[in-house]
Amino acid sequence: MKRSQFLLYTILLLTGMHIQAQHRVLMNINYSVGVPTGNFREYIGSTSFRGWNASITYRLNEQIGIGATTGFQDFYEKIDRAVYKDADGSDISAVVTNSIQTIPLLATVQYTLLTGQGQTLQPYIGLGVGANLIMHSQFLGQFADDDNKLKLAARPELGLFIPLKKDSEAGVNIAGAFNFMPYNHNNLKNLNTWGISLGAKFPLR
Amino acid sequence: MKRKIVVVACAVIFMATACTKDPLKNLSDEESRIYITQRDSTVNFRAFNTFSIADSVAYINNNQLVTRFTAVDSQFIGAIKSQMQQRGFVLVPRSQNPDIGITVSRVYSTYQGIVDYSNYYDDYWDPFYWGYSGSSYFFPSYYGVYQVTEGALSIDMLNLKDAPATNQIRSIWNGFIRGSGIFNVQNVNSQVEALFNQSPYLTSNP
Repeated sequence: MKRSQFLLYTILLLTGMHIQAQHRVLMNINYSVGVPTGNFREYIGSTSFRGWNASITYRLNEQIGIGATTGFQDFYEKIDRAVYKDADGSDISAVVTNSIQTIPLLATVQYTLLTGQGQTLQPYIGLGVGANLIMHSQFLGQFADDDNKLKLAARPELGLFIPLKKDSEAGVNIAGAFNFMPYNHNNLKNLNTWGISLGAKFPLR
Repeated sequence: MKRKIVVVACAVIFMATACTKDPLKNLSDEESRIYITQRDSTVNFRAFNTFSIADSVAYINNNQLVTRFTAVDSQFIGAIKSQMQQRGFVLVPRSQNPDIGITVSRVYSTYQGIVDYSNYYDDYWDPFYWGYSGSSYFFPSYYGVYQVTEGALSIDMLNLKDAPATNQIRSIWNGFIRGSGIFNVQNVNSQVEALFNQSPYLTSNP
């Protein structure tokens, strides 16, 4: 027996549940909206409608799945021309554009709250922990100050899976999540956001 | 059905990614420009009454001097004269010992680096030009912060009033413009006006 198989069987035994589903690997692809909060909202007040996320989940049993999630969210705001006092005492008149892209890479666990045959609404909770690739540019006019970092990230999630038909493993997925994204650059201390996702979930094998 | 879902999902991803906002593509030429002004905070500009402006423009290309004079340069000089006069300063020929001397330079560079005025300033703007042949220039260290990667315009105000006593022609104000279209004739007046508008302390008390 290979080591990986041994580990898998051990996990299954520990959970004490039986796998009844036909497919173990599910894919979930969503369009996502990001709403900055707290300190991040002071920096970019605009909601981002440019994003997506995708996850692959391996079902350990009917209720518990583990997997990985990635995605992309683009935050952007252009501020009208104003005069800013620089640290060296100079005055700078500029149109400031703040641009941030985030790419999370998370290990996830998901727990389905209601399962069973004929269940048309399947709420679930999830947690993702991992890293967040941050690409941050602040433009004064056309001149950019770039800061790219890989930082920790965590993402608790509450979602609802709606099968396309009775007992189907494919369907529509809607979820809300809070993205903890610590970050530190100048006066920006975090990139925390509320996230809303809408997409599709379907079995791979 | 499964294939349809995959196609729809891929389309959603493509649309979301394709809609990433590129800051540079969302800037007009006017929005691309930045105006930087710096001053000697110890100077009270009300103590100065007269000024003179050099009748040519220095072109500094990768720290090499090139001498040119175009219609745009003439317009920059005219716009600066106008702004100074609107703020109460009196234009005089440089032979009449002006309190302030003004020079205009175009700075071009194709690399990231520090612009060091002291390397060329004495050569081009000889203190003799202002009638102080025994003096040298003094520039505060703030000039070292510039990293120029393209054409920029620099306007310098020099304290000629105190030059005889200090034996230095000290820089007391600098205006710097960077960005797209700064050497377009139609942009000259508004750019010079922007520099002066963000420097309300530039007023004389004749």
